Amino acid sequence: MNAKPIITYSGAGPLFRSLEAQILNAIPLDTCEWRRTFHRPSKQVRLEVQTQPFNVNVLEKYKKGEWSILEHPILHIFVTECNDLDTYKASAHEEIKNWLKQLTSYGISDWMILLVETLDVRKAKNLLPRTTVLDKIRQDFATKNDDRCISVLNPAKFEQKSAESFRCLVQRIRFLILASYNRNIAKYEELIRSRREKRNHDGWDFRQYFFMQEDLALIFEKLELHTEALIQYDELDAMFSQFITNTGFGEKQRWLEYFRQPLSSFHGICLSRRDKFEIRNKIKEGPVSILEFRNYLFERQAHLLQQNNETPEIARRLLNFLFSTLREIELVKLDTPEGALSCWEFVCAVEVLQTCEQAMEPNGMICFQHCAPIWNLAKDKLYELGKLCGLLPGFTPSSEQLHIVVQLSAGIGDTPLEQSQFLNPTPQISEQKRDRSPNRRPKKPATDQLKEALGSNEAFQKLYLELAELAISTYKHVTRLRSARLVGLDLGNFYCALNEPHKAVGFFTDLLRELKAENWHALSSQTLLELANCYRKMGDSLAYTKTCSSISCCQELEMLVRSFYFDEFLKSVKTLTTSLSAQPSLENANYCVLEDHFRICDIIVLNEEPIIQDDIIMVQLKLESMYPREVVAESIQLSYEIHASPLASEATVPNRAALASSSIDGKLSRIPTSSPLKESRLKMSLRLDYKQDNTLDCASVECDVPKAKQPVRRTSSTKRKLSPSVQSDFTNFVATENVAIPPGYNIIELKSKATRVGTWDFKQMRISISQLEFFSENIPFRASPFVITTKPAAAVLNFKNLIAGIEQPVRLIVSGGSFIFPTDAKITLKCSKNLRIRMSCRSGEENGDNLTYESEGVLHEIVKDKVTTTALEDDSTFASVLQVPLQNFKSFEEREIPLEVLTDLPGRKISKHLEHYVTLTCPWSRNELQIAIDFQPALEAQCRLHTCGTQKFLHVVMKGLEANLYLTEAKVKCDVSGVRLIDLNPPSQARVQIYKGLTVSYLYEIQVEPLKAEVELPAVIKVHFITKYSTVENPQLLRNYGCAFDLVDYTTLFKVQTQLEPNELCRLRSVCNLNLKITKVHENPYVDLMYEVLSDQNLWAVCGRSAGVVSMKDVDCHSISLDVMPLSTGFLPMPNIRLSRYTAGGKNKADTHSKVHPFPQGQVYNSTKSMQIHVIASSNGEQ
Amino acid sequence: MAVCISIIGKDNAPLYLTTTDLDKELELQYRVHAALDVVEEKCQPVSKGTPDSKELYLGLLYSTETHKIYGFVTNTKIKFVIVVDSGNIALRENEVRAMFRNLHMLYTDAVCNPFYAPGEPLTSV
Repeated sequence: MNAKPIITYSGAGPLFRSLEAQILNAIPLDTCEWRRTFHRPSKQVRLEVQTQPFNVNVLEKYKKGEWSILEHPILHIFVTECNDLDTYKASAHEEIKNWLKQLTSYGISDWMILLVETLDVRKAKNLLPRTTVLDKIRQDFATKNDDRCISVLNPAKFEQKSAESFRCLVQRIRFLILASYNRNIAKYEELIRSRREKRNHDGWDFRQYFFMQEDLALIFEKLELHTEALIQYDELDAMFSQFITNTGFGEKQRWLEYFRQPLSSFHGICLSRRDKFEIRNKIKEGPVSILEFRNYLFERQAHLLQQNNETPEIARRLLNFLFSTLREIELVKLDTPEGALSCWEFVCAVEVLQTCEQAMEPNGMICFQHCAPIWNLAKDKLYELGKLCGLLPGFTPSSEQLHIVVQLSAGIGDTPLEQSQFLNPTPQISEQKRDRSPNRRPKKPATDQLKEALGSNEAFQKLYLELAELAISTYKHVTRLRSARLVGLDLGNFYCALNEPHKAVGFFTDLLRELKAENWHALSSQTLLELANCYRKMGDSLAYTKTCSSISCCQELEMLVRSFYFDEFLKSVKTLTTSLSAQPSLENANYCVLEDHFRICDIIVLNEEPIIQDDIIMVQLKLESMYPREVVAESIQLSYEIHASPLASEATVPNRAALASSSIDGKLSRIPTSSPLKESRLKMSLRLDYKQDNTLDCASVECDVPKAKQPVRRTSSTKRKLSPSVQSDFTNFVATENVAIPPGYNIIELKSKATRVGTWDFKQMRISISQLEFFSENIPFRASPFVITTKPAAAVLNFKNLIAGIEQPVRLIVSGGSFIFPTDAKITLKCSKNLRIRMSCRSGEENGDNLTYESEGVLHEIVKDKVTTTALEDDSTFASVLQVPLQNFKSFEEREIPLEVLTDLPGRKISKHLEHYVTLTCPWSRNELQIAIDFQPALEAQCRLHTCGTQKFLHVVMKGLEANLYLTEAKVKCDVSGVRLIDLNPPSQARVQIYKGLTVSYLYEIQVEPLKAEVELPAVIKVHFITKYSTVENPQLLRNYGCAFDLVDYTTLFKVQTQLEPNELCRLRSVCNLNLKITKVHENPYVDLMYEVLSDQNLWAVCGRSAGVVSMKDVDCHSISLDVMPLSTGFLPMPNIRLSRYTAGGKNKADTHSKVHPFPQGQVYNSTKSMQIHVIASSNGEQ
Repeated sequence: MAVCISIIGKDNAPLYLTTTDLDKELELQYRVHAALDVVEEKCQPVSKGTPDSKELYLGLLYSTETHKIYGFVTNTKIKFVIVVDSGNIALRENEVRAMFRNLHMLYTDAVCNPFYAPGEPLTSV
């Protein structure tokens, strides 16, 4: 269709015609910027024009407002070649004036005056004319818009020079055309608007309006404004729809009759028409069916979209177009031959799909998104047609149906493409375009495909399968899996009809998985029915059994159906034995999903915590059977596995975990609260990076952080399986056998022996019914883990501060743990030296009656007997080895056995405490257990030796430390002959009480017999101190306490006496005489003695010698006089004398030096030791 | 009005589904189920859409020759799907919106019931 803008010319027609070709060719060569009104964006436009002589008649319409912008001349040019002012004035002026007047009378201002200069004025005459013709014209007609007057050198005559001026002309024409369009489009839009307002008036015809607005659209299209052109069509589309809708409400439009034509033909749309306006002309010429009109409208829209590179949009619009057209036909109440509309829809769909395929970019997801439902539609429509024409599998078309096929085939029409091909044998551009990819076989046009499919059952099947597969794959490609499965359902049904159930099974299974994953029970049970049907046809008895079983558990289905399939299941399961063994390759084929048939409601461990190893675990299982009737399970097993403890890191961040857990269902989320704990661990991996020379560059630990979850997440493809894939470790399980499970809730007890120690989680349940194994996917709730343990047996001695010397209570605590005791078990206690042990008598009396266990009572009676028969006051019941019987001792029992221990008091003073051990030999251990026991002594004894002149006294001090005791019968004993100890203690003090902090003293005199010649007294004598003691509570029971003291220097050898003279008056700083007398008291071997005066140098000054040696050989007494001087006044202590043994040096070679050994204190008695001297101040010296 | 109304939980399991025509119930269920594809598509976090101004109404999910399927998703990922007879030309989109609003309110009331555990199928009283 020719829609080029029209330019009219008047004036010198032949001249213009000579230029015409040149102008028309030049205009499209370049683009021109179109500045548009109303802030619309400016656009570069390439124009094409056509010319015609000026004709007033055309303008007549314009004036009346019945014009079309398409036919309206857009620019009027007046051409003249008047070069001479005189001729201009004579004729041309008048002509132009009239022309302009005419134009203005029609309200047209789009004109241009073209002055063609054939003579080169400037060259011909050497002087410039005052005014040129052009100036004059401008002056006369275009004072305001002088750009409308232009002169051009005639290119025919001035080939070189004219180029510049000609280019100017062309540019000007372009500019003026666009300026004219601005004005005219606005005006035309106004016209359209006013026309639209009248749409409800009588006699208003949509078709007229349609063409009117379409002209605008065509202009826009011409000006490459596809979007705006599309808007025009969309407006028309909407308007038409509204009209039809209104008819539905009873509104009658007379013009609608034009469209209410019988649908004798129902051509689909064709997007590759040669003559795009074929139907337009038809619409213009006469009545067309609504279908044709709609087709045309959509084709136009599609064309514009294609021009605008929006091919996917065509696909998007298609369904709406098809459906709304169908509705319109219905509303208009058009009679349609049966199947006609399906044909039409099919052809349209395939046409659009083919167009999209050509335009599709490989990763243009949008296009696929819109195409997927179209494929599905094409498939559905084909199916409808197949049904109508008896082409479905299993049918053969009747003659009536064959007639329909013929009618439909005629109505479909041929591809217009082919027609044009027939008409124009020139190479097909569109055909070449289609062949873009060399591998792609040129697609048959949609009409041909349909006709072929309607032609035979085989072709129909082939096309249907092809379309269905395409629909599925396209849906899958755009990840609309559910839709894909739904198509699969249709395809599966088709395969079933084809009697190829094995092909259908896959589709049904996919669908079932999808539906089950999202708990669409009603739908999944339907699918199960389909599957059962397939399996039965296939003769797959195992699958059939499983499916029947599942169906009978579908609570959405009617009981009748369920019962039927339950019977089938029972029947079929009996035949399985043979078929299973025949197919050993199908491993795990007999596994079923337990959740489809049973529901685990509760699992309770009945045992008391903790379960001891080798005990019987009792588990109560609450199971809901969904079978319609009772089934008998050969075995029910519930496996348990070692409990995986949560990671520490997760325990520290419970809040975050709780937050994240909210979104997704339990199984796949990584959160500890609701999910199996193993999955909550982060995946950590080692990563080693190497340098170029293969040395390690960097080692790191990587952690995959789980991605943020999508708001709606697809879980189905991964989550739920139709057959259980994981069989957990069934080495540990509780089980029961041969249980009848009636429908509904059942309480079943499962048992097993607790063989392995640990914390356990229930993992999976297995129910075996005949040949089928039902495995649970997971335990639906979090059953708390249970513990199987072996508690170690232990024996402990319990005591507080123990005191040596008296019987002390000690408790032996035996906790049995999981050790199983023989009835005559016993614990042997062995004590270290001096420690003895026995069963307690007192605690036995106290506790024995309260004990609950009979055996315990028996035990204590034995103990009591022992205690009572042997004297209570006697310590003989204490023994160093004790056997404690553990009669009828049970596992996990704890028993306290009171014992008493006794240890001797230590004879000598000890620093801290007495350390003892008790060694236990327990029945559960081969090793001996050594327990340390420490005692504090009850009392301690010390002795001191006192000297009084020649007499010696032994002072024994008993110091009470811990206990409250009585002391009796204190004695000393010395075995050395010649030494006698005389008891000086009052005999009345028979019993002395002693307690902590109290000391008790005993005094004895040591008498040494005069020395005999041959016997020499030992330097050290041993004195034994013996006393008896008893506790205050039990004074009858006396125990011995013995203590040995070593006594040295128990005789005085020398006596020293000092005397100061003058005795009565001793003055400061006056020399006094110190008389020293050494007397031998006891015969002794020491001959040479050395004396020394030891005095405080501040108090006494020794004048002359302060020391000397005397020999006591053959003499008993020595007197020595020394001079001393008091240095201070007051009572001064007598200067001290130290007496030493002296060994003179030089007697033998070894000892050249003299040696001095001071006597120990006890050997020398200084009788004047603590004497004091009153020193008064000297009478003269000081004053 | 609507031929099928359904409430679908966040795990895509149907919580409530009712149809006017019992014969067509299965077919409509399939349609509703397939509509979840489009719901998922529309709910995908596209960078273009501003997350703040979240429109719960998803609009027309898809249409078939006989039915139009509209969707609505709550903030808690509960999906409402309404199937409308496409022959009903008088029905405007605003009315569909209003239906969803009412349905949302009804659902909220149902969930407010303290004896209702989220995720359980709903029953109409």
